[in-house]
Amino acid sequence: MMYETREQAVYAYVTRQSQDLFFVLSRDGRILQANESARTLTKCLENVTTFSDLVVDFASTFNLTGLFQTPEVPHLLNIKTTTGLPQSYDFYFEQVQHLVLAFGRLDAREITHMQKQLLSLNQELNNLTRRLHKQNAELARLNWEKNQFLGMAAHDLRKPIGLILTYCEFLQDEAARDLNTEHQKFLSTIHNRSLFMKHLVDDFLDVSAIEAGRFDLDLQPVDIPNVLSTSLEINRLQARKKGVILQVDMEACPKPVFIDAAKIEQAVTNLVSNAIDYSRKGDTVRVRFFPQQDHLVFSVEDNGPGMSRQDREKLFTPFSRTRTKKTAGEKSTGLGLMITHKIITAHNGTLHVNSTPDRGTTITVTLPLINQFDTPKE
Amino acid sequence: MITGALYQNYLTLLLDGDRRACAQIVQQLLDDDIAIQTLYHDLFQKSMYEVGRLWEFNRISVAKEHLVTAITEGLLNLVYPRLFEKASVDSRNEKKVVISCAANEFHQVGGKMVADIFELNGWDSQFLGANTPVDQMLAHIQEEKPDLVGLSVSVYFNMPALRSGIEAIRGNFLHLDILVGGQAFNWGGTEIIKQYSGTAYVPSLDRLTPLISA
Repeated sequence: MMYETREQAVYAYVTRQSQDLFFVLSRDGRILQANESARTLTKCLENVTTFSDLVVDFASTFNLTGLFQTPEVPHLLNIKTTTGLPQSYDFYFEQVQHLVLAFGRLDAREITHMQKQLLSLNQELNNLTRRLHKQNAELARLNWEKNQFLGMAAHDLRKPIGLILTYCEFLQDEAARDLNTEHQKFLSTIHNRSLFMKHLVDDFLDVSAIEAGRFDLDLQPVDIPNVLSTSLEINRLQARKKGVILQVDMEACPKPVFIDAAKIEQAVTNLVSNAIDYSRKGDTVRVRFFPQQDHLVFSVEDNGPGMSRQDREKLFTPFSRTRTKKTAGEKSTGLGLMITHKIITAHNGTLHVNSTPDRGTTITVTLPLINQFDTPKE
Repeated sequence: MITGALYQNYLTLLLDGDRRACAQIVQQLLDDDIAIQTLYHDLFQKSMYEVGRLWEFNRISVAKEHLVTAITEGLLNLVYPRLFEKASVDSRNEKKVVISCAANEFHQVGGKMVADIFELNGWDSQFLGANTPVDQMLAHIQEEKPDLVGLSVSVYFNMPALRSGIEAIRGNFLHLDILVGGQAFNWGGTEIIKQYSGTAYVPSLDRLTPLISA
C-alpha cells in the first residue's frame, strides 16, 4: 500500500502491525480506539471500555489523570490479558488536544534475560532429574545386593542357631540337675538369646524375600477360626507368664477362606504378641474376630502406653522403633510389624492403627472373603 | 517402530508446543517396549535436527526453538526410569565418559542423549550440561579420570569454542580420546577435527553404539 505521507505509513504500522499497545483515550479514561495488538491481547472495546479496567491495581491507587502530567516518564503498568496472566508494559501518555494517546512497550531486555534464566533453570532441573534417576537405579541395585547378602547370611546362620538351641534344650532337660543355680541361669540366658537370634534371622529372611519381590503365598481353603486359635495358643502362654488377661471373642466364619495359613498365623501372633508386650500386669488385651459383609475383621486392642502420630507413621518401616518402651523390656527386631503389614496387604487386606498416647492401641485387620478363583495381589 | 506418519504427527504437535500430546506418544512407544536407541534416533534426534534446520532457515523463531527443545528434554525424563534400570541390570564395562557442551553452547539435549546412549552400552556417563566453562570441564576430567570425553556443539558459530575445548583437553590430557558431534557439523567443521590426534567425529546417535559397545 502506498501512503501520501510518512506519518500515515507510521500510523498504519502502529495500528496494524506493531506489537506495542496503542490506545486513544478520552481525558476521562474511556478507550476510543485501540490498535490491533491491544485489541487482540486485552479484548478492549469488546469487554472493557475504560483504560483503568485494563490495569491490575491491587492498592486501588491508579490515577490516570496523574500519569498524563509526566509524558516523558515511562509508567510501569500491569495489563490484564486474555491469557489470564497479566503482562507488564512501560506506558507513555501524550496529550493531544482533547485526547490522550497511550503507548505501551514491552521491556525486551528484561524478557530476553528472563527467557535465558528460565531456560538455564529448566536445563539444570532436567540435569538434576537425570542424576536423580541414575542414582535411584544405583540405589535399587545396591538394595538388591544387600538383600541377597542378607538372605544368604540369614540362611547360613539359621542352622548353627538351631543347633545351639537344640543342645541348650538338651542340657536343660538332661544335665540341669548336675548344674548349680548360677550355671542353670547361664544356660537359660543362652537359650533366651539364641531364641531371639532365631526370630531375628527368620525376620531377616522374610524381609529379604519381601524386598526382593519373592514373597509368595501358598493359598489354600482354610477354616480361619482354627488358624486364629492355633496362633493364639502361643500368645496365651506369653500373656499368662506376664499376668496379662487375653480376652478372645471369635465368631464363626460362613465359609472357608483362601489364605496362606502359616503366614496369617505369623501375622496374628505378631500383633497379639506386640499388644501383650506393651501391656502391664493385670491389663487386658482384647482380640475380636467377626465376618462383616464381604470382609473378615480381626482386631487387637490393648490399654498400653499408645503411640504418637509420628510413631504411627513409621510403624511399618523396617528397623523403626517407637519411643514407647515395652513394659518388661522385651526385645524386638523392629521388623515384625513390617512383615505383618506385608502379609496382610499381600492377601489384599488392610491394616489400620488407632492409637492415643496413654490410652492404648487398637489394630484392625480386614481380609476379603475371596473365592478360590481370585488371585491376591503381591 | 516409528512410522513416517507417527513421526510427522509428533513433529506437528512438537512445533505446536503440545507437550502433553507429545508425552502421550512417547509413553505409548515406551509401553510398546520400543528400543531406546530407536526412540532417540528416529524420534528425538530426527525431530530436533528438523527443528534446528527450521530455525537456521528462519522458518521458526528462537522462542519456538527453545520451547521445542525444553519439551524434548522433558520427554527424556519419561525414558530415564527404564533407561537407568536397564543400564544398571545390563553388564557394566567399568568405563567412564564425561560429556560436555562447548563453552557458550546453550543447547544440551543432543549431548545428554549421547550420555544416555553411553549408559545403555555399559558406561558410567557423566553429563556436565550446557555452556560448561573450559576450566570447569578440565577440573572435572582431572577429578574423574574418564576413559573418554564427548563434546557436543549444536550451533555452527560455537565451533571456535569447540576447538578451544579440544585444545585445552589435548594440552592437559595428551592421551585422552575425544569424540565430537552435533548439528553444527551440518555446516562443516569435520576437516578441522581431523587436525587433532585422538579425536573423532560421530555424525549421528546410531553411529555411536558400534564405536563404544566393544
